Amino acid sequence: MRPWLGWAFKLSLVGLVVLAGFAVYLDAVVQEKFSGKRWTVPAKVYARPLELFVGQKLAKTDFLKELDALGYRRESAGSGPGGVSVAGNNLELHTRGFQFYESSEPSQRVRVRFSGDYVAGLSQANGGNLAVARLEPLLIGGLYPAHQEDRVLIKLEQVPPYLVETLVAVEDREFFNHFGVSPKSIARAVWVNATAGQLRQGGSTLTQQLVKNFYLTNERSLTRKAVEAMMAVLLELHYDKKDILEAYLNEVFLGQDGRRAVHGFGLASQYFFSQPLSELKLEQVALLVGMVKGPTYYNPRRNPERALERRNLVLDVLAEQGVVTPEEANTAKQKPLGVSSRGSMADSSFPAFIDLVKRQLREDYREADLTEEGLRIFTSFDPIIQLKAESALADSLKRLSGRKGVDQVEAGMVVSNPETGEVQALIGSRQPRFAGFNRALDAVRPIGSLIKPAIYLTALERPSQYTLTSLLEDQPFSIKGQDGQVWRPQNYDRKAHGTIYLYQGLVNSYNLSTAKLGLELGVPNVLKTLERLGVERKWPAYPSMLLGAGALTPLEVADMYQTLANGGFNTPLRGIRSVLTAEGEPLKRYPYQIQQRFDAGAIYLLQNAMQRTMHEGTGRSVYSQLPRSLALAGKTGTSNDSRDSWFAGFSQDLLAVVWLGRDDNGPTPLTGASGALQVWTEFMRKADPLPLDMPLPDNVVQAWVDANSGRGSDPSCPNAVQMPYIRGSEPVPGIACGIQAPVDSVMDWVRGWLD
Amino acid sequence: MTKWLIPALTASVLLGGCASVPRGSIPVVESGSSASEQQQGSVGGYGATPSPRQSQPQDSGVVVMVPGAGGSSAPIQTFPAPSAPIIGSQGSEPLSTDSGGFGAYGASAPVMPNGIPSSGGLSADEQLDGPVLALLTTAQQQQGSGDLNGAASSLERAQRIAPREPQVLFRLAEVRLAQGDAAQAEQFARRGLSYASGRPALQASLWNLIAQARERQGDPAGAAQARERARVNL
Repeated sequence: MRPWLGWAFKLSLVGLVVLAGFAVYLDAVVQEKFSGKRWTVPAKVYARPLELFVGQKLAKTDFLKELDALGYRRESAGSGPGGVSVAGNNLELHTRGFQFYESSEPSQRVRVRFSGDYVAGLSQANGGNLAVARLEPLLIGGLYPAHQEDRVLIKLEQVPPYLVETLVAVEDREFFNHFGVSPKSIARAVWVNATAGQLRQGGSTLTQQLVKNFYLTNERSLTRKAVEAMMAVLLELHYDKKDILEAYLNEVFLGQDGRRAVHGFGLASQYFFSQPLSELKLEQVALLVGMVKGPTYYNPRRNPERALERRNLVLDVLAEQGVVTPEEANTAKQKPLGVSSRGSMADSSFPAFIDLVKRQLREDYREADLTEEGLRIFTSFDPIIQLKAESALADSLKRLSGRKGVDQVEAGMVVSNPETGEVQALIGSRQPRFAGFNRALDAVRPIGSLIKPAIYLTALERPSQYTLTSLLEDQPFSIKGQDGQVWRPQNYDRKAHGTIYLYQGLVNSYNLSTAKLGLELGVPNVLKTLERLGVERKWPAYPSMLLGAGALTPLEVADMYQTLANGGFNTPLRGIRSVLTAEGEPLKRYPYQIQQRFDAGAIYLLQNAMQRTMHEGTGRSVYSQLPRSLALAGKTGTSNDSRDSWFAGFSQDLLAVVWLGRDDNGPTPLTGASGALQVWTEFMRKADPLPLDMPLPDNVVQAWVDANSGRGSDPSCPNAVQMPYIRGSEPVPGIACGIQAPVDSVMDWVRGWLD
Repeated sequence: MTKWLIPALTASVLLGGCASVPRGSIPVVESGSSASEQQQGSVGGYGATPSPRQSQPQDSGVVVMVPGAGGSSAPIQTFPAPSAPIIGSQGSEPLSTDSGGFGAYGASAPVMPNGIPSSGGLSADEQLDGPVLALLTTAQQQQGSGDLNGAASSLERAQRIAPREPQVLFRLAEVRLAQGDAAQAEQFARRGLSYASGRPALQASLWNLIAQARERQGDPAGAAQARERARVNL
């Protein structure tokens, strides 16, 4: 008997030593992870902040859409940041404030008055002067590492009222009293489970849950339970309740968004309510805390009834525990779930634009910096314009869907601001929500007639040889190429158009006269012009290049046309403005850069011809949708057998490039005019741009010419039209034609407008 | 109505008998050769792109028109004489001066959205509307405290609000010069010039800035030429 006991004593002593050793090891593990950097945080990508100032073109509906996306509550603005009240055209809102690259925008109460589609008044709520204010920018995505965990880190001071109380009441009532494990809770769980005859309740403390998520796998075994309990005790030994609670709030898993795991209350608040955590109300807090038990089972978007039931149960518990009064609980129970809806701006993903941002960032940062350091990326993305582009594409494709083969047509679209060179919207697929092949950046397709402005620009840069009213022959011809093959271009309508004015070749997109002009100028010279326009691809100087055999992506086309739209100044297109560290320190700026590549006069003349394209040429269907007073310039493009349908064009403040075509490069039923132009027109109709208005360069004069002969004329003569010329290349003015009967001509003119 | 508008308006009424004055279509007649000037200026820029060749000869007085005997097959769209010219119907006509309908510059918006100064007691060169003035002031303070990146960033913000305001481009050019990027400084000043029609004092300042930028780029001849332009404009 005696030696037995002795052995037992010795054995347990050894066991104790081993256990102590294990505890020391666990202690090291616990401390190492908890004291270091606890989480890696993906870079966050923000849209442009919406600027507010008097005279800004902004429709009230668009403004409200953006406020909804930012999670502004429609209530009195006196209710703190994130509140907005709307009374007709007058809005009062309490902005949230934000740290930008150059300055910090204060949180302030602001009054905005709208008139038409303009901001007509802006002031502080107390009537004080306010020249300009910014909303906080919409978060449009993140750059996730392989395991795709995402979170918005929060501090305990930032949590809304009731969050901690609710969490403790529901998950761990003894949290502030226990030492990591709670025998009382375990006893209660055992009792509940035993009487119910099934596993109903767990006795895990918040600390244990944190340990489980933080250090351990999901395995369910007694050993793991024991290790978990030991680690929980060790954690409590080293850190105070506040640290543990804060870690829990940031770690807890609250949902799955596709491949992205939503961790922590900070991100969950953004993800489900589009609001910062600090602004959440009792019923929202109750919903999130209720979800801890089963984030998928209680997902309020997928299972709203279950989620509502669970939320109300939590509210009952709060009333029962005396955290809130029964009246408060009842009021909260009457509220809807209030989850931001799918498909709204707030809950949309913009994979094509995020893709562009990633590519630009990868040139400057290591992958780990992007996915772990919590960088804040500020972009030029405009969600209002993006949604207009997306709906323009969807509407147009729907309208075209009657034609055979349109359902196989894919799409790419780029929208930029020619005056700043910033990309504002990007569509990489006809289903813009799905990440995948990004056609705006990666579909390299023959540009067809989109190349023609480069040929005419090359000509117009030689005013001693070419003006808009120089004569061209639109006649069939053929030349032998270097490879011995004979090149015989043809017009789209298979007809020759005889002697025409130079600008008419562009306006009507005639292949014969344009190719001939290009050969006169020399293919290498046209390619040089393309290079100056920003095209970086090197093409062989074959004659077929003159009709757009060369292939570009929609983004490259946008770059090329940007130079035409911006008075001959080239700008590398940008999607990123600046980068801040997680702490809000400036890290990098992507400055606006320009370089004059063309004489403003030549560009002015070319823009004139491209405006005529819209009025009388291949783009004229645009004015069946838009007012004729809206000056626009553009060009259609169609490749062989209509495999590619392009349109590129611009107003003063918007440049858009649309490509439609099949991924397998098969023929489509769409030309540039019947396909891409329809999408472009619909977009411009929705976006309501400013009319193109390039200032008249010093070296350009307006001259009166006879429309039939092209000779100099006088304003008093019949058939006199005004055309711009580079100074010195205009025709000699004609003699005045004496006094005409003005009534007739005015009537003709009026008739011309009515047609 | 500012003073310079009166002769311009009169001239345009005389010329076209047209009902409206298109904004931005008032030509500034200058005898200087801007083309050669621009050729001079194409020294620097960003990247390794080839410097632009302004292949624009000085062919004043040369009439290159070849009158087509018997006319062309498709004549230019015609409008009888005392009417709006073609260019007017496409360019800046009737919208920009129309106070109704479209609303772009309608009476409802008290201040022009694009930074075009409204009339007042100041000379055209000095007027700026609220947001742009506020941001230029911020940029000035940032530059004063040595935060050139912040200043440039604030100025770009102003440029987004008023892309055609030459004073913003002028300040942007100044900050770029202070940052040591003389090539970009020159480019911004040149962009500013394209919007500074009818504002001689501002034009002179822009030419002076171009002169400084060219000096920094090691182009004394170009700098002298720019300085000459500045003098002419004053």
